[in-house]
Amino acid sequence: MRWPIFLYRQSESPSPLVICLFVGLTTSLMAQSAETGVLTGKVTDSSGAAVANATVTATSLDTGQMRSTTTRADGSYRFDGLKKGSFRLKIEAPGFTTLETSSVQVDSTEMAVLDAKLQTAERTSSPPAPTMQESLPAAPSSSKTEPSLSDLGFSPEQTQANPKEQALLDKRTRMLRIHQRMGLITTIPLITTLALSVNAGGKSTSNADRTAHLVMGAITGDLYGITAYYAIRAPRIKGTKTKGPIKFHKTMAWIHGPGMILTPILGALAYDQKSNGEKVHGIASAHGPVAIVTAGAFGAALLSVSLKF
Amino acid sequence: MSKTALLSLCLLVLPALAADQQWILGQSTLSYHVSHPLHQVDGVSHAARGKGICHAGQCDFLIAVPVKSFDSGDSNRDLHMLQVTRGAEFPMVTMRTRLPVSAATLPMINADLEIEFAGQTTRYRQVPFKLETQAGEIRITGIIPATLPDFKIDPPSLLTIPVKTEIPVRVDMTWRPE
Repeated sequence: MRWPIFLYRQSESPSPLVICLFVGLTTSLMAQSAETGVLTGKVTDSSGAAVANATVTATSLDTGQMRSTTTRADGSYRFDGLKKGSFRLKIEAPGFTTLETSSVQVDSTEMAVLDAKLQTAERTSSPPAPTMQESLPAAPSSSKTEPSLSDLGFSPEQTQANPKEQALLDKRTRMLRIHQRMGLITTIPLITTLALSVNAGGKSTSNADRTAHLVMGAITGDLYGITAYYAIRAPRIKGTKTKGPIKFHKTMAWIHGPGMILTPILGALAYDQKSNGEKVHGIASAHGPVAIVTAGAFGAALLSVSLKF
Repeated sequence: MSKTALLSLCLLVLPALAADQQWILGQSTLSYHVSHPLHQVDGVSHAARGKGICHAGQCDFLIAVPVKSFDSGDSNRDLHMLQVTRGAEFPMVTMRTRLPVSAATLPMINADLEIEFAGQTTRYRQVPFKLETQAGEIRITGIIPATLPDFKIDPPSLLTIPVKTEIPVRVDMTWRPE
């Protein structure tokens, strides 16, 4: 038995399927290439004077990895070779309140600059930094006139901050957002492919219709592959039990996933038979029904999660 | 009223006011409500724990609940809520309030609340709560008028339409003396 994709190598020009697969794969590989950037800045006190020897820690929101450095005499700091992405910066210095910044973006095209101004410790009444939530509850109230979190009997696992898990959650959300958008985009060529199938199969002998159907099918397959990639590679969060509409969404994936692999294979066989002037026969005749079931499962999966955030 | 009766009353009441008394949170249901033109969501938690310590006529209460414990019936949505509220980094929601001992006998109270959530502390003034006393236990119900901007949380969106910023938190707690 010939592998279907090789059937198109026998034609005079490169198959649209091969071109689309190449484009899709190239895009994916480019997206995965590692790029680095620089994050720099200056740490000063409230009067604008440089703060030397402050510890600056950069935590990747994507991976949870941390890097630390200390400020020079002029208060400056610099991180070279940071992997492109979002970082949270924590700046600690004796006598000053620990400062945690929100996300700062590092990319390879330009240097990210983040200057920070520290407040002296005794004057601060700002919102709690992440570390404060750990330290506050841990200390039972000395006077015993006010209850503390440690009085309530929560386990340390419940009360301690987990930046690594937060980074995973952030990454998961970003990937699933792309997954959702790509899934919606994929419906356009999917519906077009189904519409074109009317003139591509049956008694039709038009090569142009069959080719148009094939091209749209290939585009659908490529976009579907990218959509699936972002769902499969999204981080799993430990201890999460799947329930609700997402369970149905995942179940549907077990139908449209294999269907999206099987449909083009059967389609290629059918295309070959039609091109040879034969009537579509054998296993290739399952192309249409499999495609319809696949599209149905894809649509059901989409609808099951589209009415929520 | 005779001097003797007044003295007796003082002897009975004053030590009771001055004495330390503690309250423990028994059953509780906390639920947030999120509203979207296409969807309504309620996340419920029964995992809150709380304690109240009374001293010199004032009671300090602390109620805490893990962010992870809220269940909206959809694990995917709960993980998304956990992400937007930075629940792994700030795993607990805590609420503190101070009330006079005498509040326990009132049918309604207005409490000043200090809520720490998602790394932010927000104060709500004069939030009304209803009190019911049954067999020595006090049931407190009310709604905290929380909003997402109060805690610097970006509203999640569905089909590019963000949810409403109001996330009222319904509170139903039963306290018992320790």
